[in-house]
Amino acid sequence: MKRLKFSKEKCIGCQLCAQACSATHDGVFMPSRARIGIESYYDRGGVLKYKDAYCNLCGICFKNCPTGAITMTDKILVDHPTCIGCGTCAAKCPRKVVKIIDKKSYICDTCDGDPMCVKVCPQGALQFV
Amino acid sequence: MLGYQNNVLRVDLSRKECKAEPLNMNWAEKYIGSKGLAIKYLYEELKPGIDPLSSENKLIFMNGPMTGTTVPCSGKLAIAGKSPATGTICDCSIGGHSALNIKYAGYDAIILEGALDKPGYLLIENDKVSFEDASSLWGKGSHDAETALIEQYGHDYSVLSIGPAGETLCTMACINSDYYRQAGRGGMGAVMGSKNLKAIVVRGTGGVKIPNIVEATKRIAEIERENTLLEDNTFVFDFGTTAFLEACQDGGILPKNNFSDATDIDWTKYNGDVLLEHLQGKRGCGSCGLGCGNFLKIGDVVCEGPEYESIAVAGPNAGNSDPVAIVKANQVADNMGLDTISAGDTIIWAMEMTERGVHDFGIRFGEMDKYIEYLELMARKEGVGAELCLGVKKLAKKYGGEDYALEVKGLEYPQYEPRGSWGMSLAYAVSDRGACHMRAYAPNEEVFAASIPPYTAEGKGEMVFRLGQSNAVKFSLCICDFWATLDYEIMAELMTLVTGREWTADDMADVGTRVLNIARAFNQREGFSAKDDTIPRRIVNEALSTGAAAGQKIPMEAFEDMKQQYYAVLGWNADGTLPESLLATL
Repeated sequence: MKRLKFSKEKCIGCQLCAQACSATHDGVFMPSRARIGIESYYDRGGVLKYKDAYCNLCGICFKNCPTGAITMTDKILVDHPTCIGCGTCAAKCPRKVVKIIDKKSYICDTCDGDPMCVKVCPQGALQFV
Repeated sequence: MLGYQNNVLRVDLSRKECKAEPLNMNWAEKYIGSKGLAIKYLYEELKPGIDPLSSENKLIFMNGPMTGTTVPCSGKLAIAGKSPATGTICDCSIGGHSALNIKYAGYDAIILEGALDKPGYLLIENDKVSFEDASSLWGKGSHDAETALIEQYGHDYSVLSIGPAGETLCTMACINSDYYRQAGRGGMGAVMGSKNLKAIVVRGTGGVKIPNIVEATKRIAEIERENTLLEDNTFVFDFGTTAFLEACQDGGILPKNNFSDATDIDWTKYNGDVLLEHLQGKRGCGSCGLGCGNFLKIGDVVCEGPEYESIAVAGPNAGNSDPVAIVKANQVADNMGLDTISAGDTIIWAMEMTERGVHDFGIRFGEMDKYIEYLELMARKEGVGAELCLGVKKLAKKYGGEDYALEVKGLEYPQYEPRGSWGMSLAYAVSDRGACHMRAYAPNEEVFAASIPPYTAEGKGEMVFRLGQSNAVKFSLCICDFWATLDYEIMAELMTLVTGREWTADDMADVGTRVLNIARAFNQREGFSAKDDTIPRRIVNEALSTGAAAGQKIPMEAFEDMKQQYYAVLGWNADGTLPESLLATL
């Protein structure tokens, strides 16, 4: 099964991944809504650090969903009519990449096997392999 | 038009009031955003003749329609006002992530008016804006203030801050963001300091809409692959601007000892190969595709960069070949909130004055401990620093040494020696904010690509116009200079994708010309004309002695010829002013 893979040594912290994600899924360039959150920052100006919130299809959200709204094959899908917005998936997600918006869960669906975040990543820091 | 937020945050610092107002879309149609639109606002809103450091000046933070989108290299922010260094219009293009946070907070621009009665900072969280007390931050270095603010608010916030140089109204004060990105030239930090504003702290969680966004994003990604990520551009990821060091040494335009020569035998001691051995990581701006930032750590000294300009001025031009001193000077200048170019140029001029016995400033070529100490003294206006912070032009008038003063309109020379790239002397002379290398980058054609003969006046008016027009529109799109292969066709396609209105390549060229004209019109209204488009005496009087351009100097007749060519291409009068017919088009 193909998964997202992130190499921080290639990341320039541009946030194009989150912009493309929200554009594709939500119709707006809006990183705060994106299902990926990769950024870098200078800690106290002296150390370059990375936030690497991306879904690697670990399945913990799927296993812990109390209503069965989340299914997992080679991607995660959330059935919004079934989702009650309890937030269990977000709380359990080890990478903190699940977004709960208006009481519904939003999780990376790998753009159906052709992730846009990978397409826009300029330096190959994100791969789908 | 989509792409814009159609929303400007106008802040009255004197009254501690702010209001949101619609962006003037008639102006946006003509000037797009960032540089051009900021200058248009200032042209319309500033009274002629105001003191740049008075509360009558305004400071504008302007993004553009592409900010916050996936358009590559679109994360830059224009910061503009009337310059206290030159008295001209001044717009800077700062990197980092602040442009995106401002746009996501819902604003195309922030316009600061008036002045706070005591030190404060502006906190912007989407539509929530508050005036906060900065008494505990006043006096702190810019980096130190950013650290304190980020610790309080978090890494999702962007900070735009000034250092002590801005607070003391040093006219070479810059504004910093993301620690290592600067609105460097022309003293915008002093304008912010004159408003008693230590920082802007901004976080936006909203979004930006464009038409047919899914398809547009796919097309933009194709453009990124096909045009942005070409080798002509990606060298900045591999080397940053350290790559220019070798190119300038080879071309004989690497300034040495206050521009007394233009090569350095020791250049391999501090070049990219040496500096990048200390690379800790790479970082670009928001929406960047290229990632020019080299984060280095040498000993206990860190910086992102150093950029070519900062290397050259604190390296060969200061008679120094120690890379640690170069990085240290960069770090101290940044934290003090000083433009590395103007501050460095002033120190190296002082070095030459001491060496020549014109005036003893207590510093000679190669004395880097003093160079670094003087930076802090200049920022705080203490000791000899209280004099040096006047800058090269005023100091030369006061102490002599005008033969060795490298500046135009009071802005010190960048580190591309024009005797080996004649068009650059014209670019420096006619730049809207004084001597600036970002307005028309002549060495690229005259030296690096060698597509145009460098040691002649012929064709230089047209060349500097063409390069300047392109950068004027590029900076009005808020796109970074490093996307060098970006042409008007692609600009027009991107504008069409983002705004939903059809733009053509000719439209883009027209915007570029209009921006050149309105910047000139602003300066004309302040009394500037051909007499102020000058070339430093050294460039005319002294021939270079080493390197590819050995023997070269620029005759005054050749320089005047280039100026007249340039004015003619733009349809300006021979005295460098705009005719009424052009003024009416602005």
